[in-house]
Amino acid sequence: MPEASLATPAAHTALASPRVRVDSMALLVVPGALYLAIAFAAPLALLLIASVVRDGHLALDGYARFLADPFSWTVLANTLRAAGLTTLICVLVGYPTAFALARARGAVQSALLAALILPLSVGVVVKAFAWTILLRTDGVVNRLLVGLGIVETPVRLLFTETGLVLGAANVFLPFMVLPIFAVVKLIDPRLEESAATLGASPRYRFVHVTLPLTMPGVIAGVAFVFSMSISMYVIPTLLMGDRFKTLSILIARSFLFMRDRAMGSTVAVVLLLIAVAVVAASAIVTRRWQAAR
Amino acid sequence: MGQGDGRLTARGAAYLDVTDVAKRFHDTPVLEGLDLEVRAGEFVSLLGPSGCGKTTLLRIIAGLLAADRGRVRLEGVDITRVPAHRRRVGVVFQSYALFPHLSVADNVAFGLRAQGTPAREIAPAVARALALVRLGHLADRAIFALSGGQQQRIAVARALAVRPKLLLLDEPLSALDRKLRETMRMDLRHLLRDLDITAIFVTHDQDEALTMSDRIAVMNAGRIEQFDTPALVYAQPATPFVLDFVGMSTRLRGRVAGADGDLLVIDTAAGRVRAPGHAAAGANVLVAVRPENVRLTLAREGDNAVTLKVRDHVFLGSKLLLHFHASEGDHAVAELPAEAGQGVAPGDAVTVSWAVDATLVYADA
Repeated sequence: MPEASLATPAAHTALASPRVRVDSMALLVVPGALYLAIAFAAPLALLLIASVVRDGHLALDGYARFLADPFSWTVLANTLRAAGLTTLICVLVGYPTAFALARARGAVQSALLAALILPLSVGVVVKAFAWTILLRTDGVVNRLLVGLGIVETPVRLLFTETGLVLGAANVFLPFMVLPIFAVVKLIDPRLEESAATLGASPRYRFVHVTLPLTMPGVIAGVAFVFSMSISMYVIPTLLMGDRFKTLSILIARSFLFMRDRAMGSTVAVVLLLIAVAVVAASAIVTRRWQAAR
Repeated sequence: MGQGDGRLTARGAAYLDVTDVAKRFHDTPVLEGLDLEVRAGEFVSLLGPSGCGKTTLLRIIAGLLAADRGRVRLEGVDITRVPAHRRRVGVVFQSYALFPHLSVADNVAFGLRAQGTPAREIAPAVARALALVRLGHLADRAIFALSGGQQQRIAVARALAVRPKLLLLDEPLSALDRKLRETMRMDLRHLLRDLDITAIFVTHDQDEALTMSDRIAVMNAGRIEQFDTPALVYAQPATPFVLDFVGMSTRLRGRVAGADGDLLVIDTAAGRVRAPGHAAAGANVLVAVRPENVRLTLAREGDNAVTLKVRDHVFLGSKLLLHFHASEGDHAVAELPAEAGQGVAPGDAVTVSWAVDATLVYADA
C-alpha cells in the first residue's frame, strides 16, 4: 500500500484544555505590568502633569505658547520631514531586502540575518560618528561620487538633511526589514505561482498578490521607523549639529540649557502624541486590512 | 473501473506532448529523459511514491519550473520557453493556494481580471464557475471561512474560470478526510469529463488513480514505468514496481527449471508453478498473482496449486483477505468472497490455486 493520507491541517488547531484556570494565567502579566508601571507609566504621568500644572493649578499656557510660536511649527515640520524621508528610504531599501532575506536558504539566510541584526549591538553614537567620517568632504562617499564622475567636486553631505536622512535610515533599517521579512516568510510561495498559472503577469502578481499580502509588515515597519525617527536625538545632533532643530533637540535644550521644565514637558507630550497617533493608526489600518480578508 | 470510452481507442496526435524531459536538483536527478503523450479530453494520472518526480513533471508542464533538457508541446506548439502566465495551463495546488486577502468571488475572478477580461463579462463568468462546483451561495465569503472541501472546490472553480487548455491537479484531495475524498473523486471526474477538459492528476493514492483516470502513468525514480488504462495497469503490471505499488499481490521468488511447451516451469519455495513467458533455464524470476485470482477450491486441471499455511484473515465486509505464511522476501495473499473463507482459521494449511494464465512473471534482479 502507498503511504497513508497526509495529516489534515485542521488537526493542528486544537487548543489546550479549556480547564486551565484563567486567574493563574493572569498572574503571568504581573511582572511585566509592574515593570511598565514603575519604569514607564509613572514617569510619563509626571511628565504629563508637569506640562499642564503650574504653581499647583491647571494651566494650558505651555501648549498655547508652543502652538503660537512659528518656530515650533518649523521644528515640527523639520521633525516630520526628516522622519518621513527616513521612513521612505527604509521602505524602498528594506522591502526588497526583506524578500532577499526570506528567499535565501540555510547558511546564507543566517549570515544575512546576522548582518542585519549585529549592527544593532553597536551603539547609535558609534554609528552616527561612523557616518560623520563617511560623509566628510574627503570621506568615502564623496570620493566614490567624484571617482565615478557623478559629481566634479566633493559635495557637502555632513551637516545637511540628506546626510541626516541617510544616516538615520541606516540605523533604523533593521526595524523595517524584520517585520516585512516576518510577513514574507509566512506567505505561501504557491500563491504567486497560482497567480501566474491564472495568467497574471509578474507586475500584476506583485500589485495584486504580493503587495497586499505584505502590507501588514510594511505598516508595522513604517510605524516602528517613523516613531523612532521623530524622536531621534543623537543622530541629528551628530550629523547636523545644533542648527537643525527637531522636537527632541528642543526638549533636550529646554531641560538641559534653558531649565524650562514646562516647555520641555510640553514638547515631550506633543512628540509622544504624534508617536502614539502613528502607532494607533498603524494598528487600525492593519486591523482593517485583515478584516477585509 | 471502466475499460475506458471511445476517446481512448481513437488514434490522434498528442494534445500535450512531453519529450525527453530531464531535471536535476543539486546533482540529484529527479526526472531522467521522460516522455508523456496526453490526448485531448483525457484524464491522466501521474501515480507514484513521494519523490518519484511527479510533482516536478507537473511544474515543468505548468511552466513553474524550467527543465534542464527536453520539450513540452501543447496543441502542437512548443511551449518549453513560454512563461507560466502565457501558457493557459491551470493548476490546482495541494494547498489550494487561494488568495487569503480576496473573497471567494474575487479569487475566482482573479484570472479573468489579470487577463483583462471586460468587466461586464466577469460577473457572469464567475457565477458560471461557482455554479460548476455548486458553491454559488458562498461568493461573498472570506476564504478562511470555508471548509477544506469548499476551498478545494473554489480552487477548481478558479482554475476553470479562465478556460485553461490543460488543467493540472497536484494531489488536490490529499488534505481532505477519507469520506470527503471519495465523494470529491467522483465529483471532480464527472465535472472534468462533462467540460471535456484535458487534465493531469498527480497522486500517490492508487485508489484515486484507478477510479478517476482514463490512463495512469506509474512513475518511479524519475521514470514512467507504465502508461496504460487503469485495468491494464492493474491486471498486467509492466514491472515489479507497478505490481507492488498498485494493488496487492502474491509474490514468490523462484528459478526457472525449464519449459513446458509455451509455459515456463518455475520452482519456488512454495512449490512448482507454471507461467506464460520466456526465460532461460536457471534464471531468477519473480512469480506473481493478484489476490482475487487465487481460489481456495481444488485446483482445476492445469492450474497452479500450492499449499500454504494461513497466517491471518482480514474481514473487509463483502470479502475476506487471507494472508499466508511465506518464506523470507515472498508474500502470499488471497481475496475471497466472505462466505467462501468461512471455517478457515490461522494455522490451517490450505491448498490455493490460480489459473496459469493469471500468473505474472518478471525477471528478478
